[in-house]
Amino acid sequence: MYKKSKQPLMRKSHLPLILLGAAMAGYGLLTALVGSWLSTRAMRGLISAGAYRNQLAAFEQTAGLIAGIFFFVFFVWCAIRASGLVRVAFAIGAVASAAPLLVGRAERLLFAVIGLPTMGAGSVLAGAVVTLVFALPMTILFILLACGRRVPRGGRWLSLASIFVVLGTAFFPIYVTVLAFLLKPGDPAVGRMIQVSSQLIKLRYLLPGLSLLGLAFISMRFDRFPSEVAETAIEKGEVK
Amino acid sequence: MRAFTGKVCVNRFVALLLVAMLLISCAKPASPTTPPSAEADDDFAGLPLMVPDRYDPPIEMSSVVAVDATIKFLGENDIHNNVWTRAYEQLLGIKVNYKWVVDGSMYDQKLGLSINSGDIPDMFRVSPAQLHLFHEAGLLADLTDVYAAEASAKTRDVLTQDTISLKAGTIDGRLWGIPLTDAAVASASLLWIRQDWVDRLSIDAPVSMADVLEISRRFTEEDPDGNGVNDTLGLCVTKSLWGAIANLQGFFNGYHAYPGIWYEQGSSLVYGSVQPEMRAALLALQEMYAKGQLDREFGVKDINQVTETIAQGKCGMEFGVWWNPYHPLNQSQANDPHAFWSAFPIPSVDGVPAKSQYNAAIGAFLVVRNGYKHPEALIRMINFWTDNILQSQDDNLRNTFLGDIEAPDVVLYKYTPVVLWEPNAMIDGGKKLREALAKKDPSSLDLETQWRYRIIQAYFEQGILEAWVEVATNGPNGATTILGHILEDRGQLNRFYGVPTATMAEKMPTLQPMEEEVITKVIMGEPIAMFDQFVENWYRLGGTEIVQEVNLWAERNQ
Repeated sequence: MYKKSKQPLMRKSHLPLILLGAAMAGYGLLTALVGSWLSTRAMRGLISAGAYRNQLAAFEQTAGLIAGIFFFVFFVWCAIRASGLVRVAFAIGAVASAAPLLVGRAERLLFAVIGLPTMGAGSVLAGAVVTLVFALPMTILFILLACGRRVPRGGRWLSLASIFVVLGTAFFPIYVTVLAFLLKPGDPAVGRMIQVSSQLIKLRYLLPGLSLLGLAFISMRFDRFPSEVAETAIEKGEVK
Repeated sequence: MRAFTGKVCVNRFVALLLVAMLLISCAKPASPTTPPSAEADDDFAGLPLMVPDRYDPPIEMSSVVAVDATIKFLGENDIHNNVWTRAYEQLLGIKVNYKWVVDGSMYDQKLGLSINSGDIPDMFRVSPAQLHLFHEAGLLADLTDVYAAEASAKTRDVLTQDTISLKAGTIDGRLWGIPLTDAAVASASLLWIRQDWVDRLSIDAPVSMADVLEISRRFTEEDPDGNGVNDTLGLCVTKSLWGAIANLQGFFNGYHAYPGIWYEQGSSLVYGSVQPEMRAALLALQEMYAKGQLDREFGVKDINQVTETIAQGKCGMEFGVWWNPYHPLNQSQANDPHAFWSAFPIPSVDGVPAKSQYNAAIGAFLVVRNGYKHPEALIRMINFWTDNILQSQDDNLRNTFLGDIEAPDVVLYKYTPVVLWEPNAMIDGGKKLREALAKKDPSSLDLETQWRYRIIQAYFEQGILEAWVEVATNGPNGATTILGHILEDRGQLNRFYGVPTATMAEKMPTLQPMEEEVITKVIMGEPIAMFDQFVENWYRLGGTEIVQEVNLWAERNQ
């Protein structure tokens, strides 16, 4: 059977992939830290709920705008530096750049501009849309990388794991919200799930960003020591 | 080989450790309280119950009970055989037989018929008027001594948390009825403001009634919803004027006027609706109405119509009770997910802090038939409720007697007439919740409060805006915080909690509609002289006698 030879994800330099991963992880970390800081202040009663919302919205809109632009530029750069299926993967991933832009703006867009009904769960719906805009392209990106035969072996495994990371961090909080507000309000088990969910949501951008950094590391290692990696593959009978 | 053996040993040790941990985790927790009787049914086995002395042999107690249309039973249970009847019989030795069961709306009528026909239950619920009526007829047992002898510490605590509960059940210095307590302060009004509008227009929190008027003006004139149409109202009011939602008593309280209640002025009680402080508030409302800050048709709009106005996002402020976010203010998110309301204490028109008026929450009493051999049985049933349901934090116990999350529509405490709520529970619960939020540690909270904690957490940590309702009521600086201040020194309790006096019963049905009509008309533009005339008429048409009677009652019930 014909086997395609492995090759690094990026040609010439992995800088765009590193920058993309760093930007995504950095954005995730920053939003988690600022969100935690503000929520702690609000829960202690140091700032009012109104002040909390205003400050958070101002931060999310500014940070989201900057992050969205950076994500898009780095995704496109990655697509340019890649080839074949990997290029397609990053081109699709570029759609996820819209997600940070939508944070803090989705409600207005969906319910004031488009005129969708809120059904009494506007923020949940808007949050779900933002999640989908990020999670779906990222999931497709990782699926394509996991399926890419030219992608280094370690990169494929990491991509496979990242699919579950993206789906878990994206949809578990939505699932918990639906349980908590619609299906099982008052259930102590759901209460504990809210606790987990509120921590998990902070990892929504951080973990995929770290996955991209991991992919960059594996790809660079492959680029630097292709024979060593190839030998390992031969030993394991992957390459005939 | 040695390594292999060692590995097996480690595995065995780990396995043993796991089994030991499993056994420890499955073991029953030590009960801190008196264990239930050995004869207790499996229903109550293992529950950390505090049970008073059991009657042996069991005694019989006839009673009557009102139910509502929402009552539901699980399995073979019915009103005569349920967790409460079994608990009374098996744990207390009191076999309760309900003579009849009737819909709540028919209860008073049925009780009257029953008593007229001489068929008096051993223990039953009465209204304040019935308490006095039946006492005068000599039908009730004196509970003074059995209360003193049998009431548990928790029962005493619950019944004395507000100063008038026991007084309300006392006639001529003797206790004839145990009040079914609830939170009186829950009826106090707060000022609710659309916080997202306040933020959009960069308005500061109101500290005086002048600020309230200014906010009302800006909400009306400056398009706070940003739709480019002049369609918003400063203040929402219903045609009924007084009540839990979109009322006016909160507004009047800001002017130190207390319509509809009796309060101390000097050494006597006065009726708030006819005091001169009403005038300034009425003039302010008149001006607001003239400037379009109130609904032009508020005089014909009921709560449902005002709720619709709120749902449409047209209303910026309302005076209402602490639970208003659950309804109707939650409706404002129907069209705008960012809509949310914040509670504020009633601001004052001057430097003197305003007080929110509220009424005693004593709507009913439990009484015992005169001649019943075991009047103390009622106190034991009350002890069972307070010591276990109100005091215990045990989730199994609460699930057993109140209801389970798996079947939220089956409310078990509806099966018994002996239901008392702690007057201060809401305020204390809110305080504990806020302490847990500050520490970010809900472990010390009971299940219900833990759930509230999680919902507030979902708001602050997951951005679930719909959870604002819980934030506004029980969160930091929420409504229950303000209720705490009202209970301390910012409240004006209705000092008259007796049954209507003779003239009151005769004249108030005429005077009250007249009062509401005059207030509505003055707000809608009639001259303030109309109110002055009303005050004169009120005293002339029976008010003077009512004031005398109320003060006489106050002297007797000091």
